[in-house]
Amino acid sequence: MGLRASIVAVSIVIAGVVVGFFVTQYMGHTPPTVTVSTSANTVEGRPVVDVTFTTVAAVGSGLHPNWVAYLNSDGNPSTYFHVPAGSVVRITIDQQDGASGLRNPYFGLVRGTVGNEMTVNHKVMTSINPDDAAHTFTIPDLGVSVPLLGVADNAPAGAQNVVQFEFIAPPQGTYRWQCFVPCAAGTLYGNGGPMQTLGYMAGEMTVS
Amino acid sequence: MTERRRRYIRMYALVWFVLAVAGDIGLALGPTPPFQASDLASSQSTVIKILAVIAWPVFSAVVATIAFTLFGNRVAPHEGDIDPGKLRGDSRPQIAWISASIVIVLSLAVYGTVALASDQPGAGISTTSASLRQPASPSDPLEVQVIAQQWWFTYRYPTYGGVETPQLVIPVGQKIQFHVTSLDVVHSFWFYALGVKADAVPLNDNVFTVTPTQTGTYRVQCSELCGLWHGNMNADDAMVVSSSDFATWIQQQQAMDAPILKYLPAYSHTYEPNPPAYGT
Repeated sequence: MGLRASIVAVSIVIAGVVVGFFVTQYMGHTPPTVTVSTSANTVEGRPVVDVTFTTVAAVGSGLHPNWVAYLNSDGNPSTYFHVPAGSVVRITIDQQDGASGLRNPYFGLVRGTVGNEMTVNHKVMTSINPDDAAHTFTIPDLGVSVPLLGVADNAPAGAQNVVQFEFIAPPQGTYRWQCFVPCAAGTLYGNGGPMQTLGYMAGEMTVS
Repeated sequence: MTERRRRYIRMYALVWFVLAVAGDIGLALGPTPPFQASDLASSQSTVIKILAVIAWPVFSAVVATIAFTLFGNRVAPHEGDIDPGKLRGDSRPQIAWISASIVIVLSLAVYGTVALASDQPGAGISTTSASLRQPASPSDPLEVQVIAQQWWFTYRYPTYGGVETPQLVIPVGQKIQFHVTSLDVVHSFWFYALGVKADAVPLNDNVFTVTPTQTGTYRVQCSELCGLWHGNMNADDAMVVSSSDFATWIQQQQAMDAPILKYLPAYSHTYEPNPPAYGT
């Protein structure tokens, strides 16, 4: 009896330690952030910060190798970045994914950016054909939304569209952002998997 | 009936009366949510006020009874035997509370039925066809379509060329007819201040008519669990403005939408996502 009781007690303690270990590992996990570099020049006295993403059709490694994602410069899925309040945030996206089309064509409009415009391969654009959208970069609470032009199906391997736009960082806070193209192939209505997972097609911008 | 018991009942009646009257005065004079920002909100506010004013004395009686039973009826051991059978067979209090309950419940049922029948917000599933026509007269409702999608509401104004915006702005004093639909999962359009909460269901056109009566900036919120950002699917920039401010705003939106207008689908009360099955 004494032996059995101590075996049970020890098992419970071991189970508790294992569960506690995984919980603390999970809670303590910080997603990789996107490196933000401060540019030397300023616009109207505002500092300019550069944020660079790559969007790909499939991550290729990690937990979900076949998911679409925004990648940071290390090639990891990452959608978290920090910018200073009031700065000019210049986002550059190397868009390498093909088009899958918007569910709501309205998001083919560029809005909320400086001049309500973007450049695609250095060409200024204010909207794209919604059917040609691969993703969007949208911060709902700021009214910022930029459609990302998909790479043509017949484009040579390695082709990409470089999308660049600027917006003014709002006051301090955390702002969610996401993609509005149902781009999660193989999931219900294209809105599952990476569309519902932070770090892939949804993330947060922290303004401090 | 002993003198002690008479005193007890008088005390009980006094405490209940003061509690009930003081609470009812506060409830009747104080503001009642959802306040007065629209005709619907005002009527909901009135219903809630009437229910609260009637319910409060009942609540006070329950609290007073519990308190008096616990403290007023105490008999300490040295005060002698407890007589447990005092209320048994006393039909007067029973008749009193049963008939009071019947009167209150039945009159509220009558009031509720009359209020429901006379208040016709025009809510329900619509089968009318969509059109881009201007309202013929100021008494015609202004149609505003609410399009829910994961995770942002956008709004279309069919009487202004089908312009679409992510901000809701409506003119004060004008009857607004919301047509609520969704492009993906079920959402719910909740404009609390106007007293409007309408499910947004794909391929359904849910109609709600309301007349905003106060200008201001309000919050709209999704109130149906809809995915990752459901908790953040809200906006604090919904506005009720004067009709001249609305005219200015809608012109700005039309100018802003110029690059995308040709790509927007023809205005319709429901939208079939195209292609029908994504991600397969």
